[in-house]
Amino acid sequence: MPKKWLLLILLAVLLLSLSVMTYQSNRLHLLPLKSLHAVLDRLYDAKTSLKDSLSAPFRRMLIRESENIRLREELAQMLQKEQAYHEAIQENKRLRALLALKEHDPRHVTAARVIGRGTDFWSKTVVLDKGLSDGIQKDMIAITERGIAGKISDVFNSYSHLLLINDINFSAAARLQESRIEGILSGTGSRRCMLKYIPHEDEVKEGEVLITSGLDTLFPQGIPLGYVLKVNKKEAGFFQDIEVIPFVEDTHLEIVVIITKG
Amino acid sequence: MKYIAVPIIFFFLLMLQGSISFHQITPNLTVLLACYAGIKGREMKGMFYGALIGIVEDSLSGAFLGPHLLSKSLVGYLSSLIYSRFFIWTPYLGILSIALLTFLDGSLVFLMRGIFDKMPAGAGAASLVILAQSLINAPVGIFLKPKDLHQNI
Repeated sequence: MPKKWLLLILLAVLLLSLSVMTYQSNRLHLLPLKSLHAVLDRLYDAKTSLKDSLSAPFRRMLIRESENIRLREELAQMLQKEQAYHEAIQENKRLRALLALKEHDPRHVTAARVIGRGTDFWSKTVVLDKGLSDGIQKDMIAITERGIAGKISDVFNSYSHLLLINDINFSAAARLQESRIEGILSGTGSRRCMLKYIPHEDEVKEGEVLITSGLDTLFPQGIPLGYVLKVNKKEAGFFQDIEVIPFVEDTHLEIVVIITKG
Repeated sequence: MKYIAVPIIFFFLLMLQGSISFHQITPNLTVLLACYAGIKGREMKGMFYGALIGIVEDSLSGAFLGPHLLSKSLVGYLSSLIYSRFFIWTPYLGILSIALLTFLDGSLVFLMRGIFDKMPAGAGAASLVILAQSLINAPVGIFLKPKDLHQNI
C-alpha cells in the first residue's frame, strides 16, 4: 500500500479518536469543537422538523376525526339526557296537577297510568294499570287536570278499561257554563263529541265551555268536558246540532285520576 | 488459527493486566500485542490491530472512549514504521523501542484523558507509572523481531 494512503488512514484513525473524545468531553475549552456536534444536532432537528411538518397535517386530521367521533357520541348522549330531563319535567308537571286534583277532590280513589290502547279499532278505550285491587270499580270516573277523560267500563284484578269521552257509547249529562243550558254530551267515535237535546230557541255560543251537570248521578257536577266548536241550526229537526271538542285528548292521555261516581 | 489465537492472547493479556500489579503499578501488556502486530506485519496491519485492541480496551474500561484507540493505533503504526524505515533491529534497539512505544502509549492515554476528560492522576505519579510500565515491557523487545529481518538488512 502506498505510503500516502497509510498516512491518510492513520490520520483518519487519529481524527476519529479525537472526534470521539471531543464528543464525549465536557471540558469548557473544548466547547468550540462541539460545533460539530451542534451541526449534527441541527441536521437531526431539521430532519425531525421536516418529518413533523409532513406528518403533522395527517396526524391532526386523525386527531380531529377521532375527536369528531367522540364529540358526536357525547352529543348523542347529551341529547338523550336532555330528552330524559325534559320528560321528567313534563311528568313532574302532570303529577303536580294530579296532586292538586287529589288534594281538592275528596272522591279521589287512585291515580292510574295508561298502559295500552283498546284492541278494538272502532271503540275508544284505553287500558289502565290499576284494577280491583287498587280500589277501582265499574263506572268510576277518570279525570285529568283538564277535565273528564272517561269512565271505567271494565275492571279486572290488576288492570281496567277506560271508556273515553269521545267513544260512541259514552254519554254524560252536561251544562253550558255561561248560559246554563242543559243537554247530553255523547261521543261520536271521532275527535268530536255531540251536545244533544238543545232546543232551537236556546242560544248557544261557539267557544262556550261545557261542564258536567251531575243530573245523571254518574258524573260529579262542575267538571269541564269541552268547548263548543260549531252550532248548526239549519239541518237539525227539533234540536240543534252542536259539535263539542273535549278538553282531554285521547291521544295525549298518560295519567288519570280515578274518582268515585257522583 | 492465527485469527483465533490473537483474540485469546489479547483477552489473556487483558486479564493478566487487570489482576497483577507491582507496587500498585498495573502493567501495560496490551501495548505489546499492538507492537507485535506492527513489527511482525506492516504499518497497515499494526494500525488495524492497534485500533482494534484500543477500541476493545476503551470499551472494557467503561470510562472514556478514544484514548486507547488513538494511542494503540499510533503505536501499531510506529512499531512497524521504525523497523521498516529507520532502524535495523537489534536486541538493544528492540528493548529501547518497546520501552519507548510503551511510554508513548501510556503518555498519550494520560494526555488524552487529561485533555478531554479529567486528570486520572497527578503528572508525577503518572510519569512514574508510565516509566515503570515501559521498564516492565522493555525486555519483551528482545523477542519481538521483525519477520523480514534479513530482507531489511
